[in-house]
Amino acid sequence: MESSSGAQPEFDYLFKLLMIGDSGVGKSSLLLSFTSDTFEDLSPTIGVDFKVKHVTVGGKKLKLAIWDTAGQERFRTLTSSYYRGAQGIIMVYDVTRRDTFTNLSDIWAKEIDLYSTNQDCIKMLVGNKVDKESERTVSKKEGIDFAREYGCLFIECSAKTRVNVEQCFEELVLKILETPSLLAEGSAGVKKNIFKQKPPESDASTSCC
Amino acid sequence: MSTSNSKRIVEDEEEEEEFEHFDDFTLASSWERFISEIEAVCRQWLADGPKNLLVKDAVQINHLKDLYKVKSEFKYATRSYCMEYYFAPSNDGKGADWDQTLHDLQLCFGVKEFLVIAPQSASGVVLDAPEASKLLSAVAIALSNCSCLWPAFVPVHDPSRKAYIGIQNMGTVFTRRFEADHIGSQVPIKLMHLEGLYELFVSKFAYTAVDWSMHHFEVHFKLKLTYRTPTYDDEDELQEPDTDVIGSSENIETQTHGKTQWDDDCPWSKWYSAEDLVKGFELLSLWSEITAESSLDMAELENASPLEADKWFLYPCLSENLAISDGSTIGFASQLRLLVKALEMSSEAKFIEDFVSVENSGSENLKSSAVVPPPTVLDRVLKDLFHEVTEAQPDSSLSEHKSSRSIKGAPLESLFAQFCLHALWFGNCSIRAIAVLWIEFVREVRWCWEESQPLPRMPTNGTIDLSTCLINQKLHMLAVCIDKRRREVKGQNVGTNNPLTSPVQEDLQVSMEFSASHGVSEGFGRKHDRNGSSDVAGSMMLLKSHKIMHAPITQDPPLMTEDMHEERLRAAVALGDSFSFSGQLERDILASDMSAFKAANPEAVFEDFIRWHSPKDWENDDSEETGVSQNNAMEVSEIKWPPSGRLSERMSDYGNSWRKIWNEALPLPASQQKPLLDPNREGEKVLHYLETLRPYQLLEQMVCTAFRAAADTLYQTSFGDLKQMTTKIGQLYVTMASTLKFLQSHNTISDSDVIEDLRRLCTTFGHIEKLILLAASLHRKFLQSPHLAEAIFSDCYDYYLPNMGTGSAKGDTKKEFDKKQQVSSRDRNLIIGMFPPPTANQSWRKVLSMGNLLNGHEPILREIIFSKRDHVSGSYYSAPTPNLYQQDIETYRMYVCGTSNDLRVALAVTSFD
Repeated sequence: MESSSGAQPEFDYLFKLLMIGDSGVGKSSLLLSFTSDTFEDLSPTIGVDFKVKHVTVGGKKLKLAIWDTAGQERFRTLTSSYYRGAQGIIMVYDVTRRDTFTNLSDIWAKEIDLYSTNQDCIKMLVGNKVDKESERTVSKKEGIDFAREYGCLFIECSAKTRVNVEQCFEELVLKILETPSLLAEGSAGVKKNIFKQKPPESDASTSCC
Repeated sequence: MSTSNSKRIVEDEEEEEEFEHFDDFTLASSWERFISEIEAVCRQWLADGPKNLLVKDAVQINHLKDLYKVKSEFKYATRSYCMEYYFAPSNDGKGADWDQTLHDLQLCFGVKEFLVIAPQSASGVVLDAPEASKLLSAVAIALSNCSCLWPAFVPVHDPSRKAYIGIQNMGTVFTRRFEADHIGSQVPIKLMHLEGLYELFVSKFAYTAVDWSMHHFEVHFKLKLTYRTPTYDDEDELQEPDTDVIGSSENIETQTHGKTQWDDDCPWSKWYSAEDLVKGFELLSLWSEITAESSLDMAELENASPLEADKWFLYPCLSENLAISDGSTIGFASQLRLLVKALEMSSEAKFIEDFVSVENSGSENLKSSAVVPPPTVLDRVLKDLFHEVTEAQPDSSLSEHKSSRSIKGAPLESLFAQFCLHALWFGNCSIRAIAVLWIEFVREVRWCWEESQPLPRMPTNGTIDLSTCLINQKLHMLAVCIDKRRREVKGQNVGTNNPLTSPVQEDLQVSMEFSASHGVSEGFGRKHDRNGSSDVAGSMMLLKSHKIMHAPITQDPPLMTEDMHEERLRAAVALGDSFSFSGQLERDILASDMSAFKAANPEAVFEDFIRWHSPKDWENDDSEETGVSQNNAMEVSEIKWPPSGRLSERMSDYGNSWRKIWNEALPLPASQQKPLLDPNREGEKVLHYLETLRPYQLLEQMVCTAFRAAADTLYQTSFGDLKQMTTKIGQLYVTMASTLKFLQSHNTISDSDVIEDLRRLCTTFGHIEKLILLAASLHRKFLQSPHLAEAIFSDCYDYYLPNMGTGSAKGDTKKEFDKKQQVSSRDRNLIIGMFPPPTANQSWRKVLSMGNLLNGHEPILREIIFSKRDHVSGSYYSAPTPNLYQQDIETYRMYVCGTSNDLRVALAVTSFD
């Protein structure tokens, strides 16, 4: 809601995305790969980082504000505030390090439940570093199973080879575009009279929470 | 006049029904013309049949599902008449049982479809008997002309007597005649008793000279007795919360004084006393087939207990307020409506103070609604908010609905939520009353701040929940700041005595997460060069010095309220891509951690810090070390030292910003560092915010919080396992969340659209509130058999919901709730419990006269249908098909309906004409 306050005519929607996951799984690399088409071995993020990217998806001009959080435990209380108002949350793990995958359900999914203020927000599970296929310890099927259980999107990618990086963000954004409540938040303060719409259905569809 | 009129009608008829041939009636008498008019209409209705009539212009009888009527008007002489045809569209052939709700005439005479003809006058009744019989015979002639078998009725006398006469042509030989009348007072004692009623019925067909007691006449009848649960709170009714809400909190106090209300222990009773929507119950006990042969049988039956009846039905007497949703009944919904009104007015002034001084505001609206309760009430509210706080605060999240958080308000038990609930009932919740209360509230909060008194109802730890409203976040921040200040003062006192232990006391819980074992720190922590350590960090050892690594006490990451975050976000968005964000704040936190780590581990190197702070950036050669770290300090010496490993590639990069910060960090324990959060500054900022809050900003947050807190309060009601209710409450939260989210967004000054939505939300809230009250009332009345409560609630729910869910203020509320719930035999004892034996005081008030007592209560209504069946053969008459009459037909039927002081009798007699 607040993000729409600076609405400019150069985009149709502004979406806030958040990246979470253990330290060293490649969140910042993934973001850099998406925003500037390059790959570097980056310094570990201190606290939180932020990037903006303009994209056109489904004929809509979008401004994506992507927040990249540090995975260190010490920063976690600090980063918790960035969950607020996010329309999409990207959970990243490293396919070569099993603990980064198990921590998603042990730690990160709980953080989402605790801090996300948006019940409809779209979650996406991303397995990074598929370029190191030989060192893989988490199979694709396990990833799919997890995604099914938590009701989120799933993709495997590599920030290094840029495989599936574009698709990862695009798929997430498409899903947000399909969700009316998120769309309403992203657009520039358009109000709707909810009583003129159909009464809200019972909350049976919130499989994610 | 009437001639020309009827001529036109005849012409119309001829146009419409060319197949019917009509003679020229212009020469006929007006009486004949009247008959022919009736006849024409009846033919039309007959030809149409129920299905076509339904399509045309039939209207449904209000409270009867299966009965429709069409009507037509006539003129005869100087009077006009209205004829109505009642019919049921579904013709299932069987006469309706009296389990169901029937039309009065159906009940009286055992008919299904029928005609009623009555003069159109103010009273709607033919006053003198000759006119009535003339009218009836006109209808009878008309009906027999078109060989129509409908019974026809004409009302006689005064309408209150509900007297009718009627006639029905039943084919070729039988005619039924009907007659009904009513005695409004002084019913003969004899007719109060079953015996007398039996004799009355018998007298209709037996010879007058017979002595009743000697002869036996077999008579069948059905009996229905209605009982009503006694009401004891008749006097209380007068004291129901009056619509004048001024100082309502006082009202409640006086009401509850000395008298227990039904909802005393319900969650809403702290705020208001609700009317019990279930006024009582009516119990219907039915005997379906009884045969009596003499008056004695009847006398015996009169002693029978209703427990012996075949069927029991229970019918709740509901308050008419259940269906009314215009906010006239007091409850959360009505107060929320007032609050929304206050929100609407809030943008009229710039400062909250403007609403208090009436002279300054030009608005007439303001003056008219400017009612502020006396200072004593204000004092009591503030006392309740700030001083009468129970020590053990229950975890409010347990009592809240799971969707509660999606509404940007404050948790139910929090200071601001309680403020909002008080505000609802403070004065008439006008903007002026709210302003007065708010100013005093802020003054009290400032007092807490100045005096470093803990803020009641607010946590002093944890992170600020950004899903709550800003005021709540600010109050949380303030509570933390006050707490820090108090600790500072204490810390200084302690620090003079023992400077070494004071930092350890300060914030032990912060870094506990890193400590695996307790008590071990003693041996190592005594060293003087070590400062600000909380505990050893597992069994980790420093790389260069063979010493146990200590986890430092670190500063809490600074708390931030929503507006502070937004400031940061705006800065970040403004800087955009060009700048690698990692803000100063994060760097400060990292630097603070590093300083503290250096202070706790004077010989540590950068690698040690990374091993503690970001373990994944340290790559062990020996993967087993993690397993050993669980062991206690005794085994420390056995651990391989120095641990072999290296920093991750990214951490060891040249120009790594972490190393830069490390190099610049001075060893300083957290207690001596510059605080990340300055409690004095942040606390003042909070108060500044509260003191300069714009009225509409306050009201927006109050509306959200009040809706949430009111819903959470009602949600705590125990109403058993009612699935519909649970779903409905869930839907209410979803609706509230989606409506309220338009408030508190930065770009709005509440426009009329939002206000309109909020009004509808109040209506919806009112419906749910009433359903909850109903559910709670039923639940506590049927604690022993919850399935009955569920069944009755379900009936009510199905009945009232269609008008409620849509949020429309007024639906078709004319229909009355009439769903009866059959009571199984095992529940009968429970129901009897609802009829406690009357006290001596009560019983002398009434003269019992009807018998069939239920725990000393006599029925409020007794209905009987007598019937006499005769075997009829066609032998008297040379009918063409004698077989037709070889059957039992009901020759006499008498419906009797009486209370202890009135009696209604309706007789139907079939005879051979």
